[in-house]
Amino acid sequence: MGKPKHYRPPGKKKEGNAARYVTRSQAVKLLQVSLPVFRKLCILKGIFPREPKKKVKGNHHTYYHLKDIAFLQHEPLLETFRDLRAYEKKIKKAKAKKNEKRAKQLEVRRPNYKLDRLIRERYPKFVDALRDLDDCLTMVHLFAALPALEREKVEVKRVHNCRRLSHEWLAYISRTHKLRKVFVSVKGIYYQAEVQGQKITWLTPHAMQQVLTDDIDFNVMLTYLEFNETLLAFVNCHLYNSINVRYPPILDPQLEALAADLYALSRWFAAGSRASKLDPQPSSLSGSEEGQGTALKESELRLAQLQHQLPSNEPGALMHLVEDVAGDEEEEDEDTRECKKLFRNMKFFLSREVPRESLLFVIHAFGGTVSWEGEGAPFDENDDGITYQIVDRPTQTHRILSREYVQPQWICDCVNARIILPTEGYLVGRVPPSHLSPFVDNDAVGYVPDYAETIKRLQAAAKNQVLPFPGVGEEDIEDPQSLLAEGVIDRAEANKAAERKQKIMTLEKQYHDELKMELQGVSYSSSTSKQVSVEETEVREESLPDAEQIAQDTANMSKVVMSRKKRRLYEAIEIGKQRKRDEINLLKERKKNNRVSQKS
Amino acid sequence: MATAGKSKATDTDQNQNQKQKQSSKIDEEKKTKKKNQKAIQTQQKLKLKQPTPPEISDSESQSDSVYDGDFSEDDGGSESEDYESLRDSESGESESDASGDEGDVNASDNDALGSDHSHEDQSESSDAHEEVEESDSSEDEVAPRNTVGNVPLVWYQDEDHIGYDIAGKKIKKKEREDKLQSFLASADDSKNWRKINDEYNQEIVELTKEEAKLVHRMLEGKAPHAEFDPYAPYVDWFKWDDAKHPLSNAPEPKRRFIPSKWEHKKVVALRRAIRKGFIKFEKPKEEPRAYLLWGDESDATEKSNHLAYIPAPKPKLPGHEESYNPSLEYIPTQEEINSYQLMYEEDRPKFIPRRYTSLRNVPAYENAVKESFERCLDLYLCPRVRKKRINIDPESLKPKLPSRKDLRPYPTTCYLEYRGHTDAVMSVSVEPSGQWIASGAETVLSRFNCSFTEGTETVFTIVLINPVGFTGSMDGTVRVWEIETGRCLRVWNVDEAVKCVTWNPVRELPILAISVGPDVLILNTGLGNEEEQERVRELLQVKTPASPDDSDNTASIASWHQDDKHGGIRLRHFKTASSVEWHRKGDYLSVVMPADILFFFQYEYSHGSSPICKIHLSLLTTHLHGLPVTSVFHPTRSIFFIATKKNVRVYELVKQKFIKKLETGLREISSISVHPAGDNLIVGSREGKLCWFDMDLSSQPYRTLKCHPKDINNVAFHRSYPLFASCSDDCTAYVFHGMVYSDLNQNPLIVPLEILRGHKSSNGRGVMDCKFHPRQPWLFTAGADSLIKLYCH
Repeated sequence: MGKPKHYRPPGKKKEGNAARYVTRSQAVKLLQVSLPVFRKLCILKGIFPREPKKKVKGNHHTYYHLKDIAFLQHEPLLETFRDLRAYEKKIKKAKAKKNEKRAKQLEVRRPNYKLDRLIRERYPKFVDALRDLDDCLTMVHLFAALPALEREKVEVKRVHNCRRLSHEWLAYISRTHKLRKVFVSVKGIYYQAEVQGQKITWLTPHAMQQVLTDDIDFNVMLTYLEFNETLLAFVNCHLYNSINVRYPPILDPQLEALAADLYALSRWFAAGSRASKLDPQPSSLSGSEEGQGTALKESELRLAQLQHQLPSNEPGALMHLVEDVAGDEEEEDEDTRECKKLFRNMKFFLSREVPRESLLFVIHAFGGTVSWEGEGAPFDENDDGITYQIVDRPTQTHRILSREYVQPQWICDCVNARIILPTEGYLVGRVPPSHLSPFVDNDAVGYVPDYAETIKRLQAAAKNQVLPFPGVGEEDIEDPQSLLAEGVIDRAEANKAAERKQKIMTLEKQYHDELKMELQGVSYSSSTSKQVSVEETEVREESLPDAEQIAQDTANMSKVVMSRKKRRLYEAIEIGKQRKRDEINLLKERKKNNRVSQKS
Repeated sequence: MATAGKSKATDTDQNQNQKQKQSSKIDEEKKTKKKNQKAIQTQQKLKLKQPTPPEISDSESQSDSVYDGDFSEDDGGSESEDYESLRDSESGESESDASGDEGDVNASDNDALGSDHSHEDQSESSDAHEEVEESDSSEDEVAPRNTVGNVPLVWYQDEDHIGYDIAGKKIKKKEREDKLQSFLASADDSKNWRKINDEYNQEIVELTKEEAKLVHRMLEGKAPHAEFDPYAPYVDWFKWDDAKHPLSNAPEPKRRFIPSKWEHKKVVALRRAIRKGFIKFEKPKEEPRAYLLWGDESDATEKSNHLAYIPAPKPKLPGHEESYNPSLEYIPTQEEINSYQLMYEEDRPKFIPRRYTSLRNVPAYENAVKESFERCLDLYLCPRVRKKRINIDPESLKPKLPSRKDLRPYPTTCYLEYRGHTDAVMSVSVEPSGQWIASGAETVLSRFNCSFTEGTETVFTIVLINPVGFTGSMDGTVRVWEIETGRCLRVWNVDEAVKCVTWNPVRELPILAISVGPDVLILNTGLGNEEEQERVRELLQVKTPASPDDSDNTASIASWHQDDKHGGIRLRHFKTASSVEWHRKGDYLSVVMPADILFFFQYEYSHGSSPICKIHLSLLTTHLHGLPVTSVFHPTRSIFFIATKKNVRVYELVKQKFIKKLETGLREISSISVHPAGDNLIVGSREGKLCWFDMDLSSQPYRTLKCHPKDINNVAFHRSYPLFASCSDDCTAYVFHGMVYSDLNQNPLIVPLEILRGHKSSNGRGVMDCKFHPRQPWLFTAGADSLIKLYCH
């Protein structure tokens, strides 16, 4: 008999959340598309559901803002999708009528659409695109490692395109030394780069056969991939242009065949920068004139490849890869300069069993020179200049004394610590020290693993060094017997100073804490005035044994007066803190147990 | 001659062997062809043999039929022998293999004659050469030595030569073997029958075994070769494409020579379609090209009029535990991993750290694709809200309280303990002068919960049962203590549990009211000077057992008795009296009994003019909507508060009417106390909450404090200091600062000051009662551990 729940008198317009938000099925109806098309549109346009303050239709619906839906409605792509659907029908009809020729013809001429406008619309500035690049990169790298799946419509062409795009990105990062952190996890290898002030983190899977499960809807992923591929292509283009390299890079087909794309790209860079130094004309010309551009491109390819011939013959020529960017040194920030110097003057050689692509990328990014076992390598294993050989096998039988044989983890740890770590722990056949995540702020978490502590000490020591002596300096930190005078003394002093500083800090902190306590009116603080009454001393005597109790009491008492909302919030925070504390305690306990079990 | 013929025979044998060895190299076609040739050769040989016997040669007949008949005649008798000899010859051949070398030489000699010819039409290969060599006796391939030509040999019948050799010399006729010789030869040599005299070339040719077989087959009328199948299935090589006959002999029609009209029409149609644009040509697929999309950042500032984009939160960055080689402490033990199975699905850790000792051991991550997919789903399915991350210091949430030092004095420490009771002290009361306290204790061994139904609603109360009912030995006591020294002044033994003890608020009347079971005892404490004692004694005399002016039902509710044992008055009720409260003037007394209708008594002691104690019973028959728990008089006005389990009801005593209801929102009220000014009220509840009511403000609590985790047993206001306290079963008592300002606009200030501890829990009960000293900031607490404590500042 009563009014319906959301009664609106006739003639009155909808207002508030009911007017502003629609559920998904309403939206689909409004746009007159099918759900898959709607999903595709949403993904491409970057439309996401929003959370209305009041859910008019109920709690179990997803709500879209009406403005978002209107935005979709005016999207030309919507019409394109409708046309595509009609076109599909044509093909289907032709097939049903056994008109194979027409079906084939139609199939070939299937209309295509472009997403560049959408990218511009979603990311009006380049920085915006960079900000959203994390997921894009992770996905493209994942698909680069996937096999082409016929039944899931993952085409070979797309996989190759993903590979190409990911290589281009890696090449740019390593070329400009933007890489900051590397972390080898069970899930894959995490990289973090800093481009135009944006921290971009992405994950590349381990280079193995990926596991595919049945419960994955590849349609969704492929739609995302479609957008991500386009986005990354444009981002790459922009980045390449920013360092004066022509964008679609033309690679040495020989190297490409050897799956050394990354190396080929780095050579393209080298050649490109040189070419642009020689004459900056072609880039401007090709931009203006399309027809002439292709011709120019061909000639340039030849030129580039001719230039490639030269350095590949002479062994030391690879160094120019690293040194070439000297021109824009001034633009670089402190961090980049530091990164660039890390592996300077070092020559690495990668063994067969080591993940070549990732190490090639990392070492280049930090200014080292690398070669690998196999064809097309810049120099071979017997080269005298090699300082480190990256090896991941139980034993190394044939050794050359002038170089050190280390495990790949050493590279990552060096990169994260930004110093050359002593290689002792990483030698062939040993279990390397634990690999720590560079993304964790140990102090904030409250638990510092042992090895982090060691690295910290080494870093402090390295900073204090007046003379950088690369090979020797790090080793004598480990064994103080080989006293190389100044470095050690310096370090000792530094340690002392650090300790002193720490002591002062703790004292200061204590003082502050006491002050705070006093403000709160806790009676036991030591700095209370001299007019302490007899009673109060009594209080203190009694209460001192269980100061903890008193602290708890004060906490309790202030909680009593809080409003319920605040109290709940406070309690929630406390619970969160407690959980963290528990985790840390668990870690400590495990550590203790491990130590005990090791001793016995 | 015979030896020469024999050597020739071995020669051919040898050749045959050689041929067999090489036959694998010769292709099939040649072989068959050769065999056919051989068959012809043997036929010719047979022809040659024919003139050998002299009688036949004598006869002039040359027709084939004649010698055919002869041949059969000749061989008819020896046919069976022939077969035997065939078998023999096999062994003979194998023997003759030994003389292979010689044979070769001979063969080459023979060959020298016909080498010119053989080289002409045969291939240069040695195989071909051998072939030539082998078929030396044939006329087709080897040039005949006799150059006489194709003339009948009859012409030479009478000559002693038979033609000429290549050099032009006459070839001499051989001497004829006579019959005896031939017979001997046939007797000597079993192979003789295979020897045929070649009259033309004047030599003796020996047929090979195979040739003999060929001859046999031909004689039988079969195909000369055994492997030739005359009845092989027919293979039709011709394609009969709708043709009746393999070939047509019809003349080519004209239409084949002129261009097609219909094709022309089609071409015209296509041409027209192309010209008009009906047919579009396939354009080369255009690869999507990247260009400088963000070429000029200047126009990037254009304002879009759609909603703000909320970027998706970035995926969580990995911690130490996700490393392929984490520190040992990050790896859970096996027991911990097993215990994860007991957790709820959503609590279970999604990722269990693992450790690999080297990078090469790390396998592909099994959830890589799945996690990526889930991320995709999150991105497009999860509603996004911009939420402000609460990153506040929890300390900042705590309200700024005035310093506790400024709020002194308040009780902080236990100063005295009053020992003497043997069981839980249920109630404590301070004499208005502040010199004495009275306490009521009960000796309880056990505690029972029982429920009883009354009327329509079920009331769940805790009934404390006196051990008397069970043991009859122990009894409850009421004691009076001197505050300053802790000396127990007096003890009354009332045989039942004492629930409530209250001093008369009038200083001149040291009277104590005690609720004991269904009774309320009014006792003379025996304090004060002589004059006062006199008055008290007079007061506590019951003259008439029941009041005359009241109706009958009141008499049934309560009855007056003189209690001789303790020297006081005993008021007997029909139910357990739970609390007793004096009016501020000391004339009235309120007793609360659990009943759903309030029977509200006022016991009036009119003591002014007449020394006779007069009982005035008035009854408020109002529905309380719940059991009354406790009651209290307004300190200044004639207002009465009564707390039911949920609400506090306020009555005007003079007009005897209901004023208002205070909604506490609590589940079960346990105690109530009024601020000495009378406008504020605190209510303690069994759920540990304390409500502060500002009567002027509203009927809702001004502030609810959740301070105790357990039941609040009692609350108390200080009479002069701005203090109030609550005590609870968790063995603590809270002391609060509760300042009420005279300015109505300013809300009362409530500050928790101290948590008083010291009592011990017994039977799940903690502090049973708390009372403030009337003048000093001291707090008395009565604990279930049979102690009374005095907390001083």
